[in-house]
Amino acid sequence: MSFTIHTSISAAVYENENVKPRDERRRALLGVRGLRKRHGERLLFDIDVIDIATHGAYVLTGVNGAGKSTLLRVLGGLERAEIDSLRFEGQDVLRVHPYPRALRKAIVYVHQHPILFSTSVPHNIGYGLELRRLPKEAIAGTVEAAMAWAGVTHLRDSDPAKLSGGERQRVALARAKVLQPRLLLLDEPTSNLDGQAREQVIELIPTLVEAGSSVVIACHDRDLIGLPGVQRFKLRDGHLEVR
Amino acid sequence: MALPMVDATLHAFVLLFTGDPDLWRIIWVSLKTSVIGLLLAAPPAILLGYFIAMYRFRGRRIAIWLAQAALSLPTVLIGLLLYLLLSRRGPLGDLQWLFSQPGIVVGQCVVALPVLLAFTLAAVQALDPRYAETAIALGASRWQVMARMLYEGRFGVMAAVLSGFGRVISEVGCALMVGGNIEGQTRTITTAIALETSKGEFAQGIALGIVLVTIALLMNGALMLLQGDAHAARERA
Repeated sequence: MSFTIHTSISAAVYENENVKPRDERRRALLGVRGLRKRHGERLLFDIDVIDIATHGAYVLTGVNGAGKSTLLRVLGGLERAEIDSLRFEGQDVLRVHPYPRALRKAIVYVHQHPILFSTSVPHNIGYGLELRRLPKEAIAGTVEAAMAWAGVTHLRDSDPAKLSGGERQRVALARAKVLQPRLLLLDEPTSNLDGQAREQVIELIPTLVEAGSSVVIACHDRDLIGLPGVQRFKLRDGHLEVR
Repeated sequence: MALPMVDATLHAFVLLFTGDPDLWRIIWVSLKTSVIGLLLAAPPAILLGYFIAMYRFRGRRIAIWLAQAALSLPTVLIGLLLYLLLSRRGPLGDLQWLFSQPGIVVGQCVVALPVLLAFTLAAVQALDPRYAETAIALGASRWQVMARMLYEGRFGVMAAVLSGFGRVISEVGCALMVGGNIEGQTRTITTAIALETSKGEFAQGIALGIVLVTIALLMNGALMLLQGDAHAARERA
């Protein structure tokens, strides 16, 4: 199994490199300098540099409690931290708090255990598009395609609260994907999933990169960590190591 | 000894089912003032309850403490304060709302506010914070997050509104002091029961009591159904 994933993700990455003109690929998407997060007195992490390129796939590893989730939440604008400077798509972002609109539109964070709104599966997936006031027909079409992509079309009429962990994770990925984010932050998307549910989620990730998003995945999953073409960040003792 | 009671009860049913105009007028005044008061109180109370639940600000704990304490504020005290405000020489005396239906509506509004606020606060606090975070991550504005959260907490918010209604329809102190219990004008179910009983006329009091009990049963039945739904939803989740 792991072999097929390796090939699929590397294929996705190489395909991107082949298709995109040289200057288009691997441009800097997000650059952060000096990122510190404290929990009270305790310094959780003190990171000098984070560089994320367009069409990049990254895994973020580290022991439990190292701050992987917190780092993703900071980047996704759900938690505050001290940031010395931040560049996004070549533009300096002068004020990081409150989280700038441009970043909010471009960066989507997905919880480790995503929660679905108590409406319907299609409404959940189309929610972000509705917020962006897209026409109803456009939303319906995009949602339909996203449901097919995530393999949840058969769950159209299911109660979101009744879905399994894997199904919920796939709906959440579809809900984020329809927004065509420049950067997707996935917090342990395969934790607590096993067997087929886990494989189904893993298979979706390379196609996100293919679709034009950079992806940062916090994880312990060896199949994700060991993927070729994927860069690895490791949070250790409050510092970020690039491997 | 038991006979007057039986007679009065029988008479009460006669009043109820023959459509006694005085009786139904009292019920109408009660329902009208309660519902209008509740509708006026609900938006600000729900908004405040939501913001206190969701935002961290200086004095937040004091706000929660005051809201909780206001729940046990006797309604006669609220009546007294409103009386002073609305009386001819009071700061709001020019409105001439004392002993009028608008006066009762204001009273019901003030009585309902803390109930609505405290229950909404509890309902929103009980919600999974991931709802708000997910909405924010997907691009929701402050108000869109609120709409999302109140929708996800809709059973709790409905319970708040029903509890608020239960409190205003059954309170007597404020309606009596601000309304003045004027026949055909400001006589409500509760003030009528108090008056009729003091006159030794039990039939109308019992009839109105039956109406109140029926309303209470309906309200709490609805509440149980809602909470049953909410529990079932939580178990599924």
